[in-house]
Amino acid sequence: MISLGASRLEALLESAQLLHSSLDLDDLLRHLLRSVMGRLLVSKALIAVESGGEMRLALVRGLPRLKAGEVYSEDDARACGVEYVFPIGEERHPVGTLGIGKPINKEINEEEIEFIKALLGLAASGISNARAHNETTRLNQELDQKVQDLRTLLDLVRGFNSTLDPEGVARLLSLTLTGHWAIRKHAVVAWREGHPPASRAKGIELPPLEHIKLQIADLPEAARTNDLPESELSVKLISQGAELVLVMRSGDAPIGLLALGPRPGGLPFTASDMEFGAALAAQAGVAFENSWYFRETVERKRLEQELSLAASIQENLFPAALPRLAGCELAARNRPARQCGGDYYDTLPVAASTDRHPHLLCVADVSGKGLPASLLMSNIQATLRALLGRIPTLTELAAHTNELLYATTPSNKYVTAVLVQIDPVRGNIRYVNAGHTDCLLLRADGEAVWIQATGTPLGLIPGMPYSEGSLELHPGDVLALYSDGVTEAQDEQEDEYGEQRLADFLRPIAHESAETIVDRIFAEIDRFAGAAPQYDDITLLVLKRLSDVEE
Amino acid sequence: MPNPFVLNTTNREDLSIMSIEGYLDAHTAPQFEEKLQAEIEAGRTRIVVDCSKLSYISSAGLGVFMSFIEEIREHSGDIKISGLAPKVRHTFEILGFHDIFDLLDDVQAAVKRFEDKPTREV
Repeated sequence: MISLGASRLEALLESAQLLHSSLDLDDLLRHLLRSVMGRLLVSKALIAVESGGEMRLALVRGLPRLKAGEVYSEDDARACGVEYVFPIGEERHPVGTLGIGKPINKEINEEEIEFIKALLGLAASGISNARAHNETTRLNQELDQKVQDLRTLLDLVRGFNSTLDPEGVARLLSLTLTGHWAIRKHAVVAWREGHPPASRAKGIELPPLEHIKLQIADLPEAARTNDLPESELSVKLISQGAELVLVMRSGDAPIGLLALGPRPGGLPFTASDMEFGAALAAQAGVAFENSWYFRETVERKRLEQELSLAASIQENLFPAALPRLAGCELAARNRPARQCGGDYYDTLPVAASTDRHPHLLCVADVSGKGLPASLLMSNIQATLRALLGRIPTLTELAAHTNELLYATTPSNKYVTAVLVQIDPVRGNIRYVNAGHTDCLLLRADGEAVWIQATGTPLGLIPGMPYSEGSLELHPGDVLALYSDGVTEAQDEQEDEYGEQRLADFLRPIAHESAETIVDRIFAEIDRFAGAAPQYDDITLLVLKRLSDVEE
Repeated sequence: MPNPFVLNTTNREDLSIMSIEGYLDAHTAPQFEEKLQAEIEAGRTRIVVDCSKLSYISSAGLGVFMSFIEEIREHSGDIKISGLAPKVRHTFEILGFHDIFDLLDDVQAAVKRFEDKPTREV
């Protein structure tokens, strides 16, 4: 054993203090290298540190061909000018390696080698301490990160619970992920049949939704874009700078996609990040579903309210009581297929309302359903009432009504109507059929006379002419005005009831009262339809001529 | 709610000082986002966010900072964050925000930083 001189002992003592007061590995290594280089006057030196079973260069000075971070090889080091190599710590399991070049102007003597060995012995325990500390710090950081992951997830779920619209869900999801990973570029889109897609993006443009839908089915919940099999979608995502994709699902069906740009400082997305992302995406999938469901419920409620409003408008449109007409019996009924239909009937006195004056009978079928149909009905009723009595003929009444409805309603709204003006005293009818289904006059002798279209539907085409038909009424004749819900009622084989069946059914019951005839025809339609669902309203107005009336 | 979220904005010359209080989480982040967006739309891109009364920030709250920073720095502006309480600062640090944003001790220091370093590389 060669004893060390006083100055070397002093240097060792100083280093020992420094090496053990720092828990920062970099500081420690830098100090070690400085001490060696200063003491021995070398200009080339390196330190490699064991990490994961390999020696890697940690610090390099004066050896431009070697780079920190690379795997250390003694041969390479010697080829670059390293002359002396010392293990740091136990020779068999060193924690590192020190390499130095030739000292300037002199050889290294044994005393100096002893000094270096002593210094490295001190450094070894310092390095072990620092590494243990680093490891603890790293574990603590990992734990902090996990805690933050959980906090983020909890916060997001709470936020989702108070978010009712899909755009709000997209916003929360994007704020949370970009905040959690300090990401700037991102895009999110989620979709559902019958709803506009909810989306939000900064710096990433997603391909059209149709392309995404076609290619998303096979994607995992979370994947790095570089790991995706090559497809149009993955190429596009990568070209937009997306590094991570997350897929949201409802059951097995994909309902949304998230694309995330790079994290700052080149941080990678780790397996645990992807797990976290997938958990967030799963929560978001549920939140999107809920928000759509909520929207649908609200929409359904709104429709129900609208329908009940429409139904109450319609109820007020139908005449509260049918007029009495000399020598005639009148009965009518409307049965909407749902809460609110598109059929309408009315009876209006032409001039005065006594039972001897002419009356207008009308059955109409309005295009559409619900509130718009109700408003159109109310429109046609107001038009007829306003014009009736001021317009001398039925054909002019129809033509005027056509113009007015055309001018006041959208072009896809129109009305088919049969307008019948009855003169109870003279016992005749005049009629206009504006694009309405054929109606029936069954003569007392059983002959069926069909009241066919004499013009186009009202409000459909402006400037159309209407012509008028007229028929004499005799005792025992039955006039049936109805909507196509009667003759187009379908049975389970989708056969239509049809005009012939109606005439044949009416013939043997024509002696019954108008009221009974209406009842019987409704029962007959129900019998015919059986279990087949009926989508059409049924409206039927029956006028029965009982006797002639003296003038 | 024990700690409602409160946001006040004051303008000092060409600086906007937004002071946020209480909980900035998924619940309140949209409010903050809208206010910040309004500042930017008004052309005010030199913004100090005073967090001295902020008691909690979640990832969604931090996401608001990320949402606008690029746009703001493209307009030579910046968001400087001041007065973080230690617990809140910890969250900023875990998620790496100290590498992206200037975190200052107080509003004064943040205002001064705007003089020295009006913006940062994105």
